[in-house]
Amino acid sequence: MAELLIKELHVEVTDEEKKTSKEILKGVNLEMKTGEIHAIMGPNGTGKSTLSQTIMGQKNYHMTHGDILLDGQSILDMPVDERARKGLFLAMQYPAEIQGVTNAEFLRAAINARRPENDKISVMDFIKELDKNLELLDMSEAMTERYLNEGFSGGEKKRNEILQLLMIKPSFALLDEIDSGLDIDALKVVSKGVNSMRGDNFGALIITHYQRLLNYIKPDVVHIMMDGRIVKTGDAQLAQKLEDEGYAGLRDELGLDVNLIDD
Amino acid sequence: MTLEKFATTTDEPTWFTQKRQASFELMDKLSLPKMQRFNFSSWQLTPSTETIIKTNVPTACDDYILMDIFDAMTAYPEMVQKYFMNKVIKSDENKMTAYHTAFMNQGIFLYVPENTVVQKPIEIELKQDSHQPFISHVLIVAGENSKFSFIQRTRTEGDAKSVANCVVEVMAMPNSEVRYAAVDEMGENVTSYLSRRAYVDQNAYVDWSIGLMNSGNTVADFDTDLFGEGAHSEIKVVDITSGQQQEGVNTRVTNYGKHSIGNINQRGVIMDRSRLIFNGIGHIIKGASGANAEQQNRVMMMSSEAHGDANPILLIDENDVLAGHAASVGQVDQRQLYYLMSRGIDRKTAQRMVIRGFLGDVLVSIPSKAIRKELIQTIERKLADGQTVATNS
Repeated sequence: MAELLIKELHVEVTDEEKKTSKEILKGVNLEMKTGEIHAIMGPNGTGKSTLSQTIMGQKNYHMTHGDILLDGQSILDMPVDERARKGLFLAMQYPAEIQGVTNAEFLRAAINARRPENDKISVMDFIKELDKNLELLDMSEAMTERYLNEGFSGGEKKRNEILQLLMIKPSFALLDEIDSGLDIDALKVVSKGVNSMRGDNFGALIITHYQRLLNYIKPDVVHIMMDGRIVKTGDAQLAQKLEDEGYAGLRDELGLDVNLIDD
Repeated sequence: MTLEKFATTTDEPTWFTQKRQASFELMDKLSLPKMQRFNFSSWQLTPSTETIIKTNVPTACDDYILMDIFDAMTAYPEMVQKYFMNKVIKSDENKMTAYHTAFMNQGIFLYVPENTVVQKPIEIELKQDSHQPFISHVLIVAGENSKFSFIQRTRTEGDAKSVANCVVEVMAMPNSEVRYAAVDEMGENVTSYLSRRAYVDQNAYVDWSIGLMNSGNTVADFDTDLFGEGAHSEIKVVDITSGQQQEGVNTRVTNYGKHSIGNINQRGVIMDRSRLIFNGIGHIIKGASGANAEQQNRVMMMSSEAHGDANPILLIDENDVLAGHAASVGQVDQRQLYYLMSRGIDRKTAQRMVIRGFLGDVLVSIPSKAIRKELIQTIERKLADGQTVATNS
C-alpha cells in the first residue's frame, strides 16, 4: 500500500510580465492511500488544476509553504520525471502533441523508464498488453502508429491519456477534468478504463466540475474546494448534494466569504 | 609552380590543365560568394595543394559508368569536358568556384545513360585525410528518361587542421529522375565550403536529402536551377551544429521553366555556442508562369549561448505563380518536454524525442531507409554529445 500526503500546501503563480504573483492554494491538506478513489470538486478558478500540477512538479507553480510526501518521503526536490517513476501520473486536461514520435514508441519509452537497463519490456509482452488495453478503450490499433496526440480529436486525446494510465500502471493517478468535452459514450469508455485500474495498488484523485463523471467512477471520498482550500470532505453523497444545491448553497451553509467567479 | 605539377603527375588532358591555369589566374580577381547575414571573409578557404587523391569506386556496372574523375578525363573526355564546371556550375562564378577548378584533387564521375533505370542506390564513400586539403568533385550526368538514387557519405579521418572544398554537379536531362542523398561529417578542425547544384531540364525531377553533420566551420551553397518546363525539385536539409561551430547555409531554387516546382524544407538544431544561419532563397524568373516555390526554414536553439537565424528570401519577377514561406527560430517546447517527463522519461531522452519530432518532418521524406536510419543514429550521437557538454559546463 502506498500513501500520498499533502500538508498545508501554499502555492502561488507569478505573472512574468506584470511582475506580480498571486496565491492560488492557501493551505491544502489531503491524505490518500492506494485502494481509494478521491474526487475533488469545486468551481472554476479555485485551484484544482494548480493542485494536480503542483503535485506533478510543473515548475510554473511556486510552492511557498507545505510539503508533499509519497510513502513518507518528501518529493519536493524531485524533478517531474522522478516523481513519475515514483508512481505519480497526471492525466492532463490539454496533452501536448509531439510530431515524429509514435504513440507506441512513446509508451514503450515510458514503461522502460521505470525498468532497469537489463530488464526492458519484450516486444511480445508490450504488444499483448497494448492490444488488451486498446480493446478495453475501444481504440483502433492504428492509433498507436500515429504521432503522439498529433491531430487527435479532444476525445481521442482523453482516451489516449487513459491508455497511458493503463500501460504505465502508476500508484496514484491525478485525473484533471478527463470528462471535459466528452460525449456520453466516450465518458463511459474512459470511466471503464479507470475502473479497470481499481484495486489495492491503485489510487486516484479525480478533478471535475460535474457530478456526472462520478456516476461512472464511484468515489470513496469527495472533497469540495473553494478559494484555494478544501472546505468540506465527505462520501459520495456529498457530490450528489452539491449537484442539488450548487456551490453557492454550500458556501452559504458553511458561512464562507468567497467570491464565486460565476456569481 | 603547383599547377604544372598536377599536369605532369596525372597526365591531365591539355584542356583541363588550361582550365586549371585560367581559373588560377582568375581567383584573385573574383569575390567570395555572397551569403546574407553570414560573414566568412576571414576564413582561410583556399590553400594550395599538389597532391592528387585517387578514389576507389565500387566495381563497374553494366548499366552505368562510375569512375575516378581523372580516369574519366581519359575514358570519356568529351563528356567530362562538356560538363565539368562548365554547364551546371561555371568555373568563373566566384573565388570558390575558380579555386575549386584550379586545385581539384579528388573526384568521381557518374553517368547513367538514357532510358536506364537503376534499382539499387549507387553509393559512394569519400574520406578526407585531414593532412591534405580535400578539393572534391562529384559530377553526375543523368541521361534522358534515366532514373536512379545516389548516396554520398563524406567524412574526415584525423584531427589535423585543414580545408574541404566539395562540389557536386548534377545534370538532369529531360524526364530523368535523380534522388541524391548525402551525409556530411567533416571533422571539427576542417573548414568546409560545400557547393551542390543541379541543372534540371524539362520534366526532370531532382530530390535532394542532405544531412549536414559537419563538426567544423562550414559554408554551404545548395542550388537548384529549374530550367526546363515542368522541372521539379524537393530540397530537404537537416543540420546540427555544436561546440563553437559557425555555419552558414544558402539553399536556393531558381524557377526559369514554366510550371516548374521547387520546394525547400530545412531544419536546424543549434547547440552549445554554435551559430547557424539558414537562408532560403526562392527566385522566380520572369516568364516562369505557373511556377511554384514553397519554403520552410526552421531552427531550434538548444542553449542560451547558441545563435541562429532562418531567413526566407523570395525574389519574384513573374505574376502567375504560387509562392510561400514559413520561418521560425525557437527553443525546445517546454510543454512537450513536461508532458514526456511526466510519464517518467528523463529530461535528456525527452529532449531528444522533441528534437526528433522537430526534424521528423524532413527525416521521413528521405527516400532511402538505410540513409534515414544512419542519419537518425548520427543525429542521436551528436545530440547526446552536445548534452554531455551542456552537463559538464
